Amino acid sequence: MKQSVLDAPVRKNLIFVLPGLLLYSAFVLGPILAAIYLSFTEWNGIARPDFIGFSNYLSLLTDSNFVTALKNNALLMVFYCLLPLFIGMAFASIVRSLKGREQMAIRTLLFMPYIMPSAVLGIVWHWLYNPAFGPINQILKSVGLGAIALPWLGDFNFALPSVGMVATWYYCGFCMVIFLTGLQRLDPSIFEAARADGAGAAYTFRRITLPLLLPEIRIVLLLTIIASIKSFDLIFTMTRGGPANSTLVPNIYMYQLGFQLNRYGYAAAVAIVGAILIFTVNYIVHRFVRPADGGSR
Amino acid sequence: MAAIAPDAIKRQSFRLVMWLFTLLTIVPFALLLLTSLKSKQDLFRGAFALPAYPHFENYVSAWVDGHFGTYFWNSIIVVVPVVTCSIVLGLLTGFAFAFLSFPFKRSIFVILTIGMMVPTEAFIIPLYYEMRYLGLLNSYAAMILPQIAMSLPFATLFMAATMQQLPKDVMEAALLDGASRGLILRRVIVPLLKPAISSLGLFLFIWTWNEFLIPLILVNDDAFRTMPLGMLFFQGRYTVNTPVLTAGAVLVIAPIIVVYLIFQRKFIEGLTAGASK
Repeated sequence: MKQSVLDAPVRKNLIFVLPGLLLYSAFVLGPILAAIYLSFTEWNGIARPDFIGFSNYLSLLTDSNFVTALKNNALLMVFYCLLPLFIGMAFASIVRSLKGREQMAIRTLLFMPYIMPSAVLGIVWHWLYNPAFGPINQILKSVGLGAIALPWLGDFNFALPSVGMVATWYYCGFCMVIFLTGLQRLDPSIFEAARADGAGAAYTFRRITLPLLLPEIRIVLLLTIIASIKSFDLIFTMTRGGPANSTLVPNIYMYQLGFQLNRYGYAAAVAIVGAILIFTVNYIVHRFVRPADGGSR
Repeated sequence: MAAIAPDAIKRQSFRLVMWLFTLLTIVPFALLLLTSLKSKQDLFRGAFALPAYPHFENYVSAWVDGHFGTYFWNSIIVVVPVVTCSIVLGLLTGFAFAFLSFPFKRSIFVILTIGMMVPTEAFIIPLYYEMRYLGLLNSYAAMILPQIAMSLPFATLFMAATMQQLPKDVMEAALLDGASRGLILRRVIVPLLKPAISSLGLFLFIWTWNEFLIPLILVNDDAFRTMPLGMLFFQGRYTVNTPVLTAGAVLVIAPIIVVYLIFQRKFIEGLTAGASK
């Protein structure tokens, strides 16, 4: 690295780095390392942690609750990643043809859920879904669809999709905005050339738009997959993992194990597996979803 | 009558569908606002039925009886120091990463980026025991200190990246004039970085205001709860009183909507650009 004119002896430089790094080490790095250590122990939060090696991780393999949590998480990815990806892309291609103010208005409104506290949105949707007096079922009944006015969050089969739809609603606008920026980055002359060559809309989309949007697709996949693994707030406020574990995800399971059952070592192992999953996804997406020319990093 | 081109019809129908979906997206917020102005009796007349007159007293009950007044001030007490300290620390560490040499610079950089990816859930258990050991459970510090530490990686990388784009000769000139590095940072770099600093401030505000897990685990005294947490416990207490519950929800999200609508261009561009790094 080239030396900057502002550089000085290390001793004098440390004053700039140390305050931030100390705070970071104390409240993020330290706890992360401690969590890794705890995941190799059995600890009830009171006595000394007992070091038990990989036992926690081995138990996780046969823990039916944890397997359920992972399965639910995989299903949730449909709602966190795939639906927002497709809907966002479709929206972006429509919104692109709209002019200035109108485009701006739609963009602003669709993006709005993304900046809200997801915990509060969970509570709001909990009310919207309420079987007795929630607006969703009220509307269904008023248009004669009372038969499908289900107890959405209380139904073993519908709880997960109901929570998932909220996530889709939350991420759609965000994906749309990313794809819109991506589309605006592309050179319009490519599309004119394609049309001049007689390419149909579907063909143009599959062969030109989609490959050129790969960087944006990568970002969207990365962020939404990570968000689905991290999901806690929405589920905690809507269902707490129920009914009968039908919406249990690793982070909710971690919370139950740790803060309700006092199995802190085991809970830490669940949390660490979650973090490892995030790093794996990050690696896979960076490694395999890349433009054909390999130009982007 | 002139025939309308089928292409135009198609475009207009797409546009209509788009607006339909957009309205669908904000219907929950509209319902929230509408319901917060109803009386309990009004609720039975349908979700979209207007109340005879707006019941603003729901907001008074949420603010006073629902303790949202306390939650609101708690949120402010947490957000203000988090945003200011994170910006100051981000400037200092970012300055160091952009211009200074110090040992293990590379490794520290990697450790900071890792910290940006690890979810809070992964280290909340040790953090809880650390706070308990320090005697900080149920205090503002329990929310403020970890939040600053969690904001530090993003603030640092963001500030360092923008500082590296500054013209070098400005700083060289200041240095030749005999200014110290602290002075250059304060008087030369910070004014040039104003747009980036205000974006950073906006993100930090939103992230801190919306934080749920930290106050959920580290605070269980109602007197310290921030708005999202207050909302959760309010729901537990008053689950039947929907108008007051929705009034509370409006109180939590109103500040964000106001800030968002004022700075929406900055928000959308910043968050999507930040995401694409």
